[in-house]
Amino acid sequence: MELKPSTPEAAKPSPTGYVFGAMVLVFFGLAAAFLGDLWGHPPARQNIALVEKSFLEKTPWRQTYADLVRAKEDLSDFDCYACHDKKKPPQLRFDANNILIVPVEHKDIVMGHGTHNRNNLCYNCHNESNLETLQVRDGREIKFADSTQLCGSCHGPNYRDWEAGAHGRINGYWNTSLGEAGKLDCANCHNPHAPRIPTRVPAPGPHALRTALAPSAHSETTH
Amino acid sequence: MPLPEPTASVPETGSKNLDRRSFLRSTAAFAGLTALATSLSPLRELGDYTSTEQFLQKYYKELTPQEMKQVLERITNEVEHQYGIRPHVRDLKPMDGVEFVYALNLTRCIGCRKCVHACVAENNQSRSPEIQYIRVLKMPHGSMDVEKGDHTYDDKEVPDKGFFYMPVQCQQCKNPPCVKVCPVNATWQEKDGITVIDYDWCIGCRYCEAACPYWARRFNFTKPEIPADRLNPEMAYLGNRPRKQGVMEKCHFCIQRTRVGKYPACLEVCPVGARKFGNILDPESEISYILRTKRIFIQLKEEMGTNPRFFYYFDK
Repeated sequence: MELKPSTPEAAKPSPTGYVFGAMVLVFFGLAAAFLGDLWGHPPARQNIALVEKSFLEKTPWRQTYADLVRAKEDLSDFDCYACHDKKKPPQLRFDANNILIVPVEHKDIVMGHGTHNRNNLCYNCHNESNLETLQVRDGREIKFADSTQLCGSCHGPNYRDWEAGAHGRINGYWNTSLGEAGKLDCANCHNPHAPRIPTRVPAPGPHALRTALAPSAHSETTH
Repeated sequence: MPLPEPTASVPETGSKNLDRRSFLRSTAAFAGLTALATSLSPLRELGDYTSTEQFLQKYYKELTPQEMKQVLERITNEVEHQYGIRPHVRDLKPMDGVEFVYALNLTRCIGCRKCVHACVAENNQSRSPEIQYIRVLKMPHGSMDVEKGDHTYDDKEVPDKGFFYMPVQCQQCKNPPCVKVCPVNATWQEKDGITVIDYDWCIGCRYCEAACPYWARRFNFTKPEIPADRLNPEMAYLGNRPRKQGVMEKCHFCIQRTRVGKYPACLEVCPVGARKFGNILDPESEISYILRTKRIFIQLKEEMGTNPRFFYYFDK
């Protein structure tokens, strides 16, 4: 840096010397500014955590009987006559308010089908004469794997929409000539004993650009 | 330094013992050049913004198939250089007899925001700062006024009582204002109804962002940051290839998926099946069924005359 003044001095009266000297000064100034970060770095960005992979999950959260068969999983839960007697259909018991008492052996079942839990009789859907099948109210016997037909026997408009592809999730190909459209069954999304879709934790909301720049402003975000 | 007079007198002694003047002069010249180089150092980062090939690249619609191949090769190499993953970049053209339409069932949407993040993952959006194509508005029952919507809701559980949720993304208008304002034709509407952006042609003026009545366009203010392990290697030129700083981006109906017959990522991840997508020109498609039979809240801000290809509907 001490050398700087000597450059214009050496140039004496020559105007070119002054110009070059001034340019050298400017370059020195710029160099010092860049090296010393006089403009400063942009403020460090707030580290935004990556979203949990569970929010990117595409598979339905329930498995139907048909899925279990396909996946060759343990079906012992569906072996009703391991406990029940084939000749004697199990009796339903009700409390004083005429609400079904779920037996302790089936205590994982939460009853909640229909407005005000009105569809609370097991044999509305299960077949009392063969517990390993289901029954429609007109008496037709239906296999567990074909449960959508049972659901459709009451929920006509939704069944019609589902058949047309308008109700429920579809994964895969919209153009079925190029690939398969993975259509789901009712029980892939709805628990037949409590079909209303439960509330869930939402994925994190957006971080606005300015909050990402200034961590201190995080609490006072607006939209 | 061009100072001929003094230097002319020096040579006899110059070679052996350097005189003071030429020493100072050459030192000053050297220091000056060093300073010049340092002062130009920000130019070193220029390579991140553009390359010669990209700078000299022709307009998308004028590229011959051969040139397109070279462009895709360049993008593949750039992505591999930056992320260490060799992507599969394609230039997908619209299919014949296909016009895409999206429908969203407001009765079903529970506001879980899974679509937002599935979109980010599929389309290689910047994670920090965050760029998201979908904005889920939490709206009070009994109103369709988007001004009353809040997209920053932070509820423990959704859906909240007394509210419905309305995800808003690019509406793929038939009469897109964003395309009209683009001064360089870097965005246009394709035959299948998708409004696309050529990220290599965009100059980043953000006119389209201002023109869009749906707040659907996003700008890369800084260099986008994507962790390499979250990069989606299945890419399309007009779709999800990584963007650079200073260009616009927006929802393109997952062009890299829909143009090969698949559903968009936001639809596949929806846990309640509120999102429906398909070819409106096919009378058998579910989207045709919905528009025929459902109660449609026609289009968002239809008074703008944009005529979106995105419909909101109700079940009951």
